Formats: sequence, C-alpha cells, structure tokens
Amino acid sequence: MLYDLRGLKKIYSGRTVLDLPELSFQKGKIYGLLGPNGSGKTTLLSILGFLNIPSAGDLFYNGRRVSFTEKDLLPFRKEVVVVDQHPILFSTTVYKNVEFGLKVRQVPKFRRSRIIQASLERVGMRDFMHARGGELSGGENQRVAIARALACSPRVMLFDEPTASVDVNHQMVIEEIIRDLHSREGISIILSTHNLSQAAKLVQEKIYLFEGRASAFTHENIYHGPVITEGGRRYCLVREKFPFPVNGVEDGPVKISIDPASIEIRNVARAPGRSEEWLNGRIYQLTLERDRIRILVDVGIPLNILSSAGACADMNLSIGESVQIRCPKKAVAVI
Amino acid sequence: MQFFQDSFFSALLLIRSLDPDLLNVVAVSLKVSALSTLIASLLGIPLGFTISTTDFRGKRAVITFLNTLLALPTVVIGLFVYLFISRRGMLGELGLLYTQAAIVIGQVILIVPIVTTFTISAINRIDRRYRQTAKTLGADRIQVALVLLREARFGIVSAVVASFGRVISEIGISMMLGGNAKGFTRTMTTAMALEYDKGEFVLAVALGLILMTISLVVNVMLNAIQGRAAS
Repeated sequence: MLYDLRGLKKIYSGRTVLDLPELSFQKGKIYGLLGPNGSGKTTLLSILGFLNIPSAGDLFYNGRRVSFTEKDLLPFRKEVVVVDQHPILFSTTVYKNVEFGLKVRQVPKFRRSRIIQASLERVGMRDFMHARGGELSGGENQRVAIARALACSPRVMLFDEPTASVDVNHQMVIEEIIRDLHSREGISIILSTHNLSQAAKLVQEKIYLFEGRASAFTHENIYHGPVITEGGRRYCLVREKFPFPVNGVEDGPVKISIDPASIEIRNVARAPGRSEEWLNGRIYQLTLERDRIRILVDVGIPLNILSSAGACADMNLSIGESVQIRCPKKAVAVI
Repeated sequence: MQFFQDSFFSALLLIRSLDPDLLNVVAVSLKVSALSTLIASLLGIPLGFTISTTDFRGKRAVITFLNTLLALPTVVIGLFVYLFISRRGMLGELGLLYTQAAIVIGQVILIVPIVTTFTISAINRIDRRYRQTAKTLGADRIQVALVLLREARFGIVSAVVASFGRVISEIGISMMLGGNAKGFTRTMTTAMALEYDKGEFVLAVALGLILMTISLVVNVMLNAIQGRAAS
C-alpha cells in the first residue's frame, strides 16, 4: 500500500477541515480527489506530500509510519513531490528552477544538465530553458513546474488542480503529460480536481470528499438558499430567483445538492410551451463522460446535467441550444 | 551671497586638491560606517529571518519593540554606550571610549533594528509558496532558508543600503563615543560640526558636498534595487 490513513484529522482554529477514519491509496495508480471547493482536497494533498502536519491520526507511507518531525519528513519528501495549483517558479531561469531539486539531491553537475534537458523535453519546454520564470504564461509555468518535479525522479506525484489555471490547449497537454508520466515512468499519481469530466478521462480510482469527509458519491450542483413554503409546497430559493423543491426540512437556510443524473432536460424547440416548473437556459458545454454526456447549462446559475448519449441525440442538443430544465424532488438532497 | 559663493568654490578647490586632512576624515567615516553596516547586517539579517519565519509567543511584541528602536535618537544610544564603556562603566577596562570601535558599537546598536525590521518585512512579503516549493523538492531547513533569502534579496539589500545611509550621516554617536580626535575618530559629520563652531566653513562645506554625494549614490542604488525588485 502506498498510503494508509487511519483516523486522520486536520483542525484549523477549532474547525475540522479533514476527518478521514480510514483511507488507502495503492501504488502505481492514478487517483482523483474529487469534491467542491473547501472539501479538503488541498489539505489532504499537502498532508500526503508531507508539507502539512495532521492534527490527529496516523499516516503510513509504504508501510512506514510517518512521525511528522521535520528531520524525519525529509527522506519522504525526496520521494513525493507536490505540484501546486498555481505553481511558483524561483526568480531565476527555467534551467536553474529544474536544477534546484537535483542540487538538493547532490546529483553531480555533469549529470544534471542531461536530466534537466530530458525533463524539459518531456513537457515540451526545452526551448524555454534560458527563459526567466516571470516571462512564462500560466500553462508554461505549470509545465515547467511538472518538469522541475519530474527531474527529482519522484515515486509519487501529487497534483493540486493541475489544469485549473490554464487554457484549454495547455489543459490537454498537461493531461497527456500526466497520463504519460504514469504509463511510462510508473509514477503513482494523486490529483485533485473538481472537473468531473477530467476525472473521468484521467483517473483510475476516484475518492469523493465533501466537507472534509470521504463520501460515497460526489455532491454536485451545490447551492445555498432559504427554504420557503408556497402553496403548500416547499422550495429552496437559490439566489432569490431559482426555486428547487425540497422535502422534510424546516424553513430556514440550507445547502442543497442536485443530482445531475436526475435533472430533466428538453429542447425548447421541441417543448410544448412555457411552464412554471421548467427553467429556461442555454447549453454552453457538452462533454463525453464514458457512456454519458455531461451537459453544462446556464439557467442563471450553472447546472451540471448527465444524460445518455442516445437521449441527447434524440433531443438534438448542441452547444448554444436553448433548453428547459426541471428538477424533480428526488434530484434535490439537503446536505 | 558672496560669502556662500566663496565658501562653495573654496570647498570645490579643496576637494579637487585632494587635501590629506579631508581625505582622512572621509576615509575614517567610510571605514567606520562600512564596518558598522557589515556587523549590523551579520546580526540583523539572521535575526530578522528567524523572527519572520518562526512562530513564538510574544512575536508581535518583539516586532513592536524593534519598530520602536527605529526612532531611537543617536544621543540616547551614545549616552547609554558611554555609561558602559567609560572608565567607570562595566566595560571601562577595555579602553574603548574615544576609539573607532566605540563608534562602531554605537552605530551597530543604531542600525541593527533597521536591518532586522527591513528583513522581517522583506521575508514576510515573500509568497509562502516559495517555502512549500523548496520543501516539496526535498530542501532541508538551510536550503529552504537560502531560497527565501534569495527571493527576498532586493528587500534585504535595500535594508543594508538604507542602514549605511543612516550611519554615514549620524553625528550624536560619533561625537559622544568617538570624541572627534583628529586623524583618528574624526568623521565627516563631527568635522563639519567642529568647523562650524570655529567659523571655518570651507572644510565644512567640502565635507557637506561629499556627504551629499555619498547620500545621492546610496539613494540611487536604493532606487535601482527597488526598481529591479518591482520589475
């Protein structure tokens, strides 16, 4: 087992941000940590990267218990590298940035140059070897950060939202690099993302986190709003405008999650007419997710919908299409 | 006006003639100030780094105390150090009073808070991701510290340059602890005060011009460093 977590907790200012009674990661796999913002993904990654000390519990790495004293962490850190969501490059050249980890590991100078060039080549940044960190774009920065980590020959690479701050082109390149690192180098990879389509394409095992706890499934379409009663029916009114039916809760503020697979969608062009139950919106993203299609619809708030490929074809859905959506009671869970 | 012009042109001629007395005073000033700045930097930079990167009880109080020391008048430092190194003082046996070493001690006390607080501020401004990045790449404590110092280098050099500017232009410590002995502890500022007392303005104006030139050079360097840091 690569990592074994037992009763691991992280508490900041009295607030528990991570509470994982038991969790394991196997060697040689690509794991995806999924969950909304604030679910504890980054905190977990920083603990797995030995950069953050848990408040309670045990962490075993390769069967060895991690004691979390600065001196003991050093050998672990030489095997595990974290690549930040917004990586920062030292204010020197790309070459010297990649060289840093090698110097720390006392790699002889004659070998360093070869490793640096090979690492930059792997991420397609060899031509930028003499550029300074500040001269690069967000995507290039991310790629150099990956090369810098790769040069250290890690056994495990941890990526925090690796494509969150890059454009679509760099996103595809980075996904390809991560896939390649896993298949060619056999590096174990754990990445955090809230992009479910990315997770579907890239990861072998998914771990859902919600409010610091491992969850059986991911909570999607999370919104806040007050519960109101109108005409004998209860709604959670999101942003004072969008009513979603809820069951079994008192009036007052709640947080809801809407199951994307249970949301009904229809093409306006084929719809029988306006109805109060249906919300009007427009499709702005369609992504193939294994055998289903993920539809991102803007109804005034963004909503993720999962539908079968056949249903989408029948409705003739495409990007920019005007659609209507309806959330049945069963789709809405109070969390 | 005539008096000013005469003094000014005579001072320029004195500088041009490379008068030995003038050069001696300038050399003492530069030597003492450079040594004070060096010692204060060796003490203040590690101190500032430690305070900035370590969490301990009373950290805020320490920083407040250091900030208060920034406003300490030179005559107060001169007085306290005098009480220690005068013949009747605790360190009287060392015979430090009216030596260049005494001036250096006083000036170090004057600028250690400057170097320390500037270093704290420079390190605090460094993005926390530098430390995390160095750590995750396998750096030990010293290597992490070197990364932070490197990233904060412009701020730290500014601290050193500003401190040098402070000591080269101070008079209270040099006068009280150095004693203004000709050829030995006479600095530019104490010589200027003496010449003023004597009503001899030529040497005073010449020293004033040199001091202003040094201040100008220091400020140009400071601006260049800060400009580079901003870019």
